[in-house]
Amino acid sequence: MDASAVTLALNLIYHIAVLALVGLGLGIVFGLLGVMNMAHGEFIALGAYAMLAVQNHGLAPGYGVALAVLGTAALGYPVERWLVRPLRSRPLDTLLATWGLSLLLRKSIEAVFGRQYQNVSNNLSGTSTLLGAEYPDYRLLLIVVIFVGFALLALWYRRSPAGARLQASVANRPLAQAIGIDVDRQACVAFVCGVASAGLAGALLAPLVRVEPLMGMDYLLDSFFVLVVGGLGSLSGLAAGSGIIGGTQVVVSTISDQTGGYVAVLLLSIGFLWLRPNGLLARR
Amino acid sequence: MLALVLSSVPHLSDDFRAYQLGTYLLYGVAAQGVALAWGRAGFLPLGQALFFGLGAYSAGMVLIASQANATLLALLPLAVLLPAALAYAIARLVFARQYVSGPNFSLITLALAMLAAQLANQWSGLTGGFNGLANIPEIGGLDRYSTMYYLIVALVVASTALLGWLYRTPLGALWLAVAQNENRLQFFGFATDRLKALAFALAGALAASAGALYATQQGLVTPQAIGFELSTELVIWTAVGGRFGPYGALLGAVGIGLLSAELRDVWIHWQVAMALIFILVVLRFPAGMAGALQTYGRRLWPRSWMAGEEPLSSQSAAAPNYLPAPPRNRAADTSTLEPIRLEFNRVNVRIQGVSILSGLQLHLRGAGIHCIIGPNGAGKTSSFNALTGRLPLSDGDIHFSGRRVSGLRADTIARMGIARKFQIPSVFSALSVRDNLCIALWGNRANALQLLQASTWRWRSTLWEFLIASFPFLETESDRHAGELSQGQRQMLELAMTLLMEPRLLLLDEPCAGLSVAETGQQTDVIKRAVTLIGCTALVIEHDMAAVARLSDQVHVLHQGRLLASGSLADIQGNPDVQAVYSGGQK
Amino acid sequence: MSPLPHSTTAGLVVDNLGGGYGDTIVLRNVSLSLAPGQVLGVLGRNGVGKSTLMRLLTGFLPLSQGTVHWQGEPIGNRRPNHNRALGIAYAPQEGLVFDALTVRENLSLQRPDWRSLEPLLTSFGRVRERMAIKAGVLSGGEKKLVSFVRSLGEGAALTLLDEPTEGVQHENIALMAQHIRQRSDAGASFLIVEQNLSFLMSVMQRVLVLDHGEPVFQSDRFTRQALEHYLRV
Repeated sequence: MDASAVTLALNLIYHIAVLALVGLGLGIVFGLLGVMNMAHGEFIALGAYAMLAVQNHGLAPGYGVALAVLGTAALGYPVERWLVRPLRSRPLDTLLATWGLSLLLRKSIEAVFGRQYQNVSNNLSGTSTLLGAEYPDYRLLLIVVIFVGFALLALWYRRSPAGARLQASVANRPLAQAIGIDVDRQACVAFVCGVASAGLAGALLAPLVRVEPLMGMDYLLDSFFVLVVGGLGSLSGLAAGSGIIGGTQVVVSTISDQTGGYVAVLLLSIGFLWLRPNGLLARR
Repeated sequence: MLALVLSSVPHLSDDFRAYQLGTYLLYGVAAQGVALAWGRAGFLPLGQALFFGLGAYSAGMVLIASQANATLLALLPLAVLLPAALAYAIARLVFARQYVSGPNFSLITLALAMLAAQLANQWSGLTGGFNGLANIPEIGGLDRYSTMYYLIVALVVASTALLGWLYRTPLGALWLAVAQNENRLQFFGFATDRLKALAFALAGALAASAGALYATQQGLVTPQAIGFELSTELVIWTAVGGRFGPYGALLGAVGIGLLSAELRDVWIHWQVAMALIFILVVLRFPAGMAGALQTYGRRLWPRSWMAGEEPLSSQSAAAPNYLPAPPRNRAADTSTLEPIRLEFNRVNVRIQGVSILSGLQLHLRGAGIHCIIGPNGAGKTSSFNALTGRLPLSDGDIHFSGRRVSGLRADTIARMGIARKFQIPSVFSALSVRDNLCIALWGNRANALQLLQASTWRWRSTLWEFLIASFPFLETESDRHAGELSQGQRQMLELAMTLLMEPRLLLLDEPCAGLSVAETGQQTDVIKRAVTLIGCTALVIEHDMAAVARLSDQVHVLHQGRLLASGSLADIQGNPDVQAVYSGGQK
Repeated sequence: MSPLPHSTTAGLVVDNLGGGYGDTIVLRNVSLSLAPGQVLGVLGRNGVGKSTLMRLLTGFLPLSQGTVHWQGEPIGNRRPNHNRALGIAYAPQEGLVFDALTVRENLSLQRPDWRSLEPLLTSFGRVRERMAIKAGVLSGGEKKLVSFVRSLGEGAALTLLDEPTEGVQHENIALMAQHIRQRSDAGASFLIVEQNLSFLMSVMQRVLVLDHGEPVFQSDRFTRQALEHYLRV
């Protein structure tokens, strides 16, 4: 098999996997709960900066991941309780409030860490040979982790009692309440998990990307377009959206350049808004 | 008055201060565009610097090129017109299929601004890349450090005056209506996507003209003028300054902007504080600083200009030289004399496997009132939804006076002479009662030019007079916000608004819901007399049998998505199938 | 029209209940009491406020007047998810099942054991047949059956049913009546909103008729003819 074809395929898989990882948080918060969290990108950034902070203090990266997840979760609770929940029936105000939150988080990061680009070191910086092509180890690890993680998540969501209860409260809130499910607490837990997964994504991606205060913006837009195309409310929608957007980005940027990929994604999303406003596999 | 205040600045202070102020005044003009789109028309652009930057870069390029060839200066207006056209196109594209606003528009404008910044950095041959487009000459021989200031002031005064005037026109009221209840506005025959696109185009034009002057004032345009940070700041200044009027945006840009510029380097946490202030404003003080000023101004000086505006249409109430409204337009070639025909032909609607309408077959001819009754889930409201473009048909079609109606947009159908009143009274809550009535009257009557004329506020019709006589509160409470009316009054208001359209087909969905027995009598009276006055066909969904008896002798019973029986009320009451459906038992 | 005698601590006691949506009062002056083992039928045409009554009793709407007591405790204005712990089961008129979950998952959502469901599943073979199917594709009548099995399966002291027989086949309606009678004989209370008079006649001991948001007839002695008159078109 041709090594460059394998590399292209791996790049494609990697890109789609990362999109799914990054989009999961917004898929939970917006796709499932209906809260447009404009600060989604900033929670990812916080995860990356957690790794940076841990590195600056000379601790092992494992602590960074823990800090990223726990820190964003801890932040997510008051945000859900005092910013999101009171605005539950006012989507435009939610968008504004979370936009303000995104600003706050960005400026706080700037105040603490500064505006310059920083780097988190990659402890797994070797490469392996796969089917004749050399590919960075860390990326391979990420691909595996993401696929396994999603498989487990899908299993949990579709098979476990807790997953069924979550599906129930999202699909038919009054009935869920009638049978005794505390839907407010469910929504809170789901939101916290959503932002924590964003933090996790940031922590995992940190060694591979530029860490700077504005890094979250692109992730927010990517995640949003993935959901617009794939459909809100389901893991399969997230997967489908990641596939289509990721595929478009990789293919078009190989042909022209990265900006071309950006334009293609934008046009694709607007097209979907026209033709299939609920996305490909919507369930909400 | 604004002109005076602003022009005096260079004399009171020094030229450098004026220069600084000038820059922020330009940002203020761009912010006024954000206020127009957001505070007035109800959609939030998160990437407005796109148009500012486009105006700046194109003006800069034209000015540089004009140094070699002065005739190229004629291209300068394009620096404003092209971004405005782009804004119109974007808004039309994004709003085309919607009647509920979502985050799509905001995120797409954000993405576009970021894309533009990327391109500005990349296409360095055109834009000078990261370092920007430099050496832009001063326009018209003005000195950027002294006399150009007055040009900027002129722009500010012009934009403020333009917006102030527009906000008072009928178009200004329509924008408010779009923000409050876009769905309802479409049923009066207004193409809301075009209204929003118009607002966005104007916002784009304002930003672009500000950008153009910015280019020549600074002499340099960098990608910072087109990107994400400036877009965000414009939203913050508009929010904190006040988004509901043109002054707030200026106040925000100049006040907060200048303050930020000073404090940003001195106090590292200023920007964090600014973010907190923004969140606070969003949650608690939506009217911003301008709103606060108005509240205090109203308390201190109740009759001054600071007290704010009166309800829009009350300006015309004071001068009661009413004008007769022009006759309603007809969107097709059907003549008035042709009898009205409505046909549901084997209409099927299936949503996710559930059958909402199953082969509904209903043919109606001629003027008069028809009542539609049936148990819950029979498909009554769904038949209205299918008729007015809110529910796609899976099968069959619907014809109105020979024209196929199924599949058309709601506003197109309204312009064909089909008016609809909703089950839950749906009016423009933050507009006055009189404003609500005016909007209903303009539907399908006012052309674009008339929407810009103050005289349109004075339109009245014979039907209007009749409705005022039937529902006196429409006159006595005409300045009250519609949202403050009681439920019963809102029902009557919405009925009045629907009738003012003088439709050929009137669709009333439970017009007596929530009314007391006396009010029901009043409501049914008005319906009967109005239908005779207008000479239309009315379809009325009702549960209240007393109301049905008063209204009509043509009753149709719907059950499980199809027509079960038609006839007079006596026929229906004697029909065993109908009774079975209503009181259970074998079918 | 005299009010029914109140029993003080056991059962459901509603006193002068009223409520609605926003500033509109849709229902007013409703008083009733329900002892253990009693079945109350609530009758009325569309739009008279029957579903509003249900929503007020289950906490989905705030009370604007009056009180609701259950087993001696005031329960008006509670959050709806507390009902289960209070021993109140509710089958709403719409939104009957969780479409994306299978019938089995719908029934097992909050349930540790299936024994209480066995007799119901034996009667309603249709439901048992469709265990593995996503509830969303069932017909309206079948969804009503699933909802019925689920709510009765909770074995609650008070079960509120909103139009349980709508769209259900005749044979199954008779079975539903049978199960309700069995449960009420064992001491469970039922409050059933219905338009199907035949069904109600076979299960209820008391009736409350609503019209225009107010009670117009309330008694434990009634005839079919008299009640039909209230439902007439």
